Amino acid sequence: MATSPAALTPLMPAIIRFSHVTVSVPDKTLLHDVSFTVNTGDKAVLCGKSGSGKSTVLKTLLGLLPVQEGVIEFQGQPLNVATLALIRRHTAYIGQEPVLGAETVHEALLLPFRFKAHRDALPSPARLEEVLARLGLSPALLAQDCARVSGGEKQRLALARGLLLGKSVYLLDEVTSALDEDSKQAVFAVFADPALTVLSVAHDPDWLACCTKMWQMADGCLSEVSHEYA
Amino acid sequence: MNTLDIAAPQLAVLYGLCLLPLGVLWLVGLRLGRDIFIGVVRMSVQLALVGFYLKTLFTLNNPWLNALWILVMLVVADLSIIQRAGLRARFFALSTLVAVTVSTLLSTFYLVVLVIRPELFYDARYLVPLAGMVLGNCQQGNVIALERFYAALRRNELEYQTFLLLGASRWEAVLPYYRTAVKAAISPTLANMTTMGLVSLPGMMTGQILGGSEPWLAVKYQIAIMVGIFASTTLACAINLRLSMRMAFNGYDVLKGEVFAGK
Repeated sequence: MATSPAALTPLMPAIIRFSHVTVSVPDKTLLHDVSFTVNTGDKAVLCGKSGSGKSTVLKTLLGLLPVQEGVIEFQGQPLNVATLALIRRHTAYIGQEPVLGAETVHEALLLPFRFKAHRDALPSPARLEEVLARLGLSPALLAQDCARVSGGEKQRLALARGLLLGKSVYLLDEVTSALDEDSKQAVFAVFADPALTVLSVAHDPDWLACCTKMWQMADGCLSEVSHEYA
Repeated sequence: MNTLDIAAPQLAVLYGLCLLPLGVLWLVGLRLGRDIFIGVVRMSVQLALVGFYLKTLFTLNNPWLNALWILVMLVVADLSIIQRAGLRARFFALSTLVAVTVSTLLSTFYLVVLVIRPELFYDARYLVPLAGMVLGNCQQGNVIALERFYAALRRNELEYQTFLLLGASRWEAVLPYYRTAVKAAISPTLANMTTMGLVSLPGMMTGQILGGSEPWLAVKYQIAIMVGIFASTTLACAINLRLSMRMAFNGYDVLKGEVFAGK
């Protein structure tokens, strides 16, 4: 059974809180009575077999799946139509096969800045190169066609977009699955920043070792807290 | 100049022309006799009924009766568009009806009141055929627009969600699919205009010439109707997609799966 949110005594304020959340689609319950809390700066991870509901947790937080029962809170505010913009503004979601949505890498990195919400925050070329360097990516990649970018590069480019947007909460779905050792270390270094909060789905032992909170999921239930170093 | 009538014996001769394709299809092993028979009979009966109705409409020339006829055409077109686009009427019937009605009436009345200028603006002889032609083309455009737009959203769900999570509003996130759908919808009309007179002689113009009109007059009417069709199709598709989004997405900007027929 999941840890009761009330049982936790967070040192930092709770940023994500699931309280008895149940999510269903026709003929199937995807999440059943899931409760957990992620505090500011936490590096949390959900483990479990494929289809256990890990990715569903991330998608539900982003409003992509309907909540039948329970409450999801983000920065103390319940998830609803009115607060959805707040969640999406602060959160970066990076899946296993991120969509870059543009022709070239340069266009892909600047894609969010075409939208009204970020139009005034266009990053400088120097800032682009700085973020790429932090993630172990060469500036030469900027001119490359997105169709020729590898899976690992796509994941880091999606992460780069989050950093360029100044996101503080990262929802990561197997984000190290396509990374080599050096690239992984670059990603770990980025998330060593205590200002960044992470809720992830992962199997990679290296990633699990970096996380401060770990939950096990099975059949849509959050079964136990495996460890907590907070 | 009077148009030569097609008398009953000549009509029988006309149907005899169908024997040729029927024979060719039979020779290549396609047994479509029943389908062809039903198609020809339905066409003949439907046109006979329309002929009878139009004759009455033209004779009475009553504005309310003309309006009622146009309303019937609009409702039938509305339901046909949604069915052919593979969507559910309960989500799209109202938005499509509003878009098609506004654009068809705007184009038709523009043509009738400002361009053709008959004595009575509701003159059935002008109003009904023009509205019918505008609406018929508008219908085809809207089928393409709706089908392309929602199929693209379903196919590119992950990309659409990525745009949303990168800060796009719903409108900003659907814009690439919206533009592609509207372009696809108006392309046949644009292509038709580009090659008109070179590749084919348009039906209305041919009809007018056969009906005894001067070729120049027929040409001017054809230009008028093509401009009207282009304007109404573009307007209807642009408005329809925009309005349809109100019902097709939930409050969290997620496309409802139940908008697709057969799901």
